[in-house]
Amino acid sequence: MNRPQRNTAIVWRHEAGRERELLAAQQQGEDISEGGTVILVHQGTMHQLNLLGGEIWLRCDGERSLEQIINELAGEYEVDRGELEQDVRDFVADLEQRGWLIDG
Amino acid sequence: MADANMGLLSAPLTFNWTLSYRCNFSCSHCYSREEQAAELGTADIKRIVDILAAKKIPFINFGGGEPLIREDLFEIAAYAAEQGLNVSMNSNGWLVDADNASRLAAAGFKSVGISIDSAEASLHDEFRCMPGSFVRAVAALDHLRRAGIRTTMSAVISRINYRNFRDILDLAREHDVSQVYLHNFKCSGRGFKNREELDLDPGEWKAFYLEALEVKNSTDTPAISFDDPVIASLPGYDADPLVKGSSCGKLSLHLRPNGDITPCGFIPLVVGNILNQDFDEIWNGSDVLQKMRNKEARGKCAGCSSYGDCLGGCTARAFATTGDFSEPDPHCWK
Ligand code: SF4
Ligand code: SF4
Repeated sequence: MNRPQRNTAIVWRHEAGRERELLAAQQQGEDISEGGTVILVHQGTMHQLNLLGGEIWLRCDGERSLEQIINELAGEYEVDRGELEQDVRDFVADLEQRGWLIDG
Repeated sequence: MADANMGLLSAPLTFNWTLSYRCNFSCSHCYSREEQAAELGTADIKRIVDILAAKKIPFINFGGGEPLIREDLFEIAAYAAEQGLNVSMNSNGWLVDADNASRLAAAGFKSVGISIDSAEASLHDEFRCMPGSFVRAVAALDHLRRAGIRTTMSAVISRINYRNFRDILDLAREHDVSQVYLHNFKCSGRGFKNREELDLDPGEWKAFYLEALEVKNSTDTPAISFDDPVIASLPGYDADPLVKGSSCGKLSLHLRPNGDITPCGFIPLVVGNILNQDFDEIWNGSDVLQKMRNKEARGKCAGCSSYGDCLGGCTARAFATTGDFSEPDPHCWK
């Protein structure tokens, strides 16, 4: 997938307040993998994306290439680039399979 | 109470909106027949839509009362849809003929739910005190589908239909209904008055839900939804919900015809008025909402291993029967 784009059939909302809470909790060393920063509603079912998932989702505008998204996030997160790249690719592939992302 | 709102969403995802308590029916389980409220004019309703859009609330669902009683329903819905809201409604179907179905489609309705309580015409008609209502409700499903609107069906589970819920699902399938809501019986309004006659006992609820969950897990046509937190303790319930326990006050709120907000249609406590008060203050600051979001295990819930998932079950039912949000749901079989 070159330029991942959010499926317009999906209703979603970015939760900035929750994101701030999660970032603060992360600073305290807490496990925040369960917390969602983007809420998605697809066919009546609600889902949430965690911090990294949310960051990826917000960038899947059909304009940015996958490469660009990875570069942006690499600048933000102090993690191993190879690991991050794999996480992003896995996440995008998973959402593509669910039909939540399409190739823009 | 700095932590009381921890994890709370910035606003609800859904507003269940009673535009009017007026109805052309008078059903025996209805929560709203005894309610009265001044109705707002179209301009004020559009002001509310503006507020909801600004708060990025994605869904509004008109209920009531019969939404089609208001002649400006189409205008209101079109206005809301233009602002990006996903508009749906629940109707008894009586007024949904081919013409109104196309007008609903043109107004941008994403889906329309029709209430059908039994697959047996005479039972439905009797329950709804309206001869001929079954035939018209079923016809409404077909008119809507032909107009290109996704349809859903709602049945309030009670003594008259709990043994035959499969027939309701078959009916839905025959009419290409995408989703069926098997609503739990709420003890408010007429439902409260008639509950001796209509409500199941806890053991029957358990048996019903065990069976219904099995059916739900074996089919997607139609998709089956329950809105009852008390089922969280049952095998077969594997949902990973956004919030535990009742979703009202956490994911949804209810609007009355005059702009008053209540946690849900079944909890008659006004937490504020959307036209006269700042919405964020109501959402973040209301004592009632905070209490609902932070229930404490009381009675048999204290020590119950399901509490983490169930949070005491339906807050509206606990409140209607005991006056206390935190008491155990009277439907609980544990
Ligand atoms: S349940 Fe619906 S159709 Fe029946 S009286 Fe109440 S509002 Fe009217
Ligand atoms: S006892 Fe309370 S917490 Fe346990 S299942 Fe019943 S309502 Fe839920």
